[in-house]
Amino acid sequence: MPRKPRSLWNGSITVGVIVVPVKLYTAVESKTVHFREVHLADEAKVEHRRFCSAEDSEVPYEEVVRGFDLGDGEYVVLEKEEIAAAAGDRSHVVALEQFVETARIDPVFYEKTYYLGAGDGGGDAYRLLHDALAATERAGLGRFTFHDREYLAAVRPLDGVLALHTMRFADELVSGDEIEFDDAGRAPAKREVEMAGKLVASLSEDFDPAKLKDEYRETVLDFIERKAAGKKPKPPKERPAEETPDLMAALEASLKGGS
Amino acid sequence: MARPLWSGSLSFGLVNVPVALFSAVRDVDLHFNQLHEKDGARIDTRRFCSEEEREIPLAEIGHAYDLDDDKTVIVTDDELDALAPRKTRTIDIEAFVEVAAIDPLYFDHPYFLAPTGESEGPRRAYRLLLEVMRDSERVALGRFVMRAKEYLVTIGVRDDRMALTTMRFGDELRPSKDIDSGGKKPPKQQLEQAVALVEALATEWDPSAWRDCYRARLEDVIERERKGRRIKAPEAQEEPTPVPDLMAALERSLAEASGKERPSRRDGDLAQLSREELYERAQKEDVPGRSSMSKDELVKALRG
Repeated sequence: MPRKPRSLWNGSITVGVIVVPVKLYTAVESKTVHFREVHLADEAKVEHRRFCSAEDSEVPYEEVVRGFDLGDGEYVVLEKEEIAAAAGDRSHVVALEQFVETARIDPVFYEKTYYLGAGDGGGDAYRLLHDALAATERAGLGRFTFHDREYLAAVRPLDGVLALHTMRFADELVSGDEIEFDDAGRAPAKREVEMAGKLVASLSEDFDPAKLKDEYRETVLDFIERKAAGKKPKPPKERPAEETPDLMAALEASLKGGS
Repeated sequence: MARPLWSGSLSFGLVNVPVALFSAVRDVDLHFNQLHEKDGARIDTRRFCSEEEREIPLAEIGHAYDLDDDKTVIVTDDELDALAPRKTRTIDIEAFVEVAAIDPLYFDHPYFLAPTGESEGPRRAYRLLLEVMRDSERVALGRFVMRAKEYLVTIGVRDDRMALTTMRFGDELRPSKDIDSGGKKPPKQQLEQAVALVEALATEWDPSAWRDCYRARLEDVIERERKGRRIKAPEAQEEPTPVPDLMAALERSLAEASGKERPSRRDGDLAQLSREELYERAQKEDVPGRSSMSKDELVKALRG
């Protein structure tokens, strides 16, 4: 059942005067089980309606404005259009301004990932940009307006196509210094470090995403199917945890396969 | 320090390290409330049954799931609660994998782990893990339960702290094979020119050089509205059209990129810029009171 993917946005990537027409697609799709809200008594659809808290009456969407809370119950009122205007340039162009070494970007900056497909009539320019980024091992940076807000975007080759990541801004990231931690006391002994290193080595594996299943999702879907067939679900199991009193003894026991 | 989002222990073989979890991302977005324009009162959302035309309490709401064969299964809150993974207090490390083998697109949300507990033992265990993982090319792969959901996570070191990142499951990634990967391999000379163009615009990755202009503009809108003024929507740029001659475009772009001193924003030419351009720079440099400044004031502030 491979569906033809639908693009979320059509526009172009530019580098200097080179224009690469592109289409944007979802690269990551949440598979969390989603439900519709229904009224238990009659299984009818549940509707969310807007009510004015002062008048106790339903409010049409046209009468809704956005309020920025200044504290003390005081609001600065903005029209929806004013908020949308702040989104920035809507010309559907991502101008790549800089190219940085991809390996230098800490993945913590990547927020969401999309694929870029070649747009109409731009196949050659698309391939050229892809191959030039692959050859230089660089990602292009530019600003991207999408869904009423502007993002910093990084464009890099991925799996034979181009990927676009929306990026977190530096001031959104918490630095390690902000995580207080009492470093006093004895440092771990050399032998402990060696033992722990051995333990890491003994538990080393290849990364195989296909093996890693969302067990909660499977539990929910299994329950739904059982319920549809009129059966009862089974409860999940639990494991206890305890603190380790003797680090060295625990390391040794772990290495012996005691877990 | 903020309250931890979760606390428990990191379990590594038979070693248990008590830890607390903190988000590595802070919410700096501006949040708005929905208000009724007429009276400025808050908007509430109420749930109505579409059949009975009456408001219904949360207790009367069920969750419907449509199966492929037109069958619908209704699940109650109690049933969902029973399905939630049992709250465990451990992050179980299952394996260690090479970090280079994990494409960043698997990463979802970053967190930090801090050691907890008063006694020295647990803190030493935390430092041991830090020491072992710091120079390792591997990260730990594990699972834990937070807010009734089980997460797949990697644990490594960032900024001299143990860092945990929630992960996407493999089947949540769409394959790239359905994406149009463009035309033929470019001719050698064209690729060389394109590479030269990329190199001409190459710079060091400096995240602090990029500011969230959207947030800055919204702050300005709020500031202006506070003073009772209106803002105009920015004018859209003209849409570019693909150039027919790639080679000529490459040459032109390359000439521009190498001839231009980037960034070409030194004092001397400030006066020649438009107010919009000056304003944008003032935003980048976070000049206070910029939204109400005239062109001359902006030039002065930027020179200052």
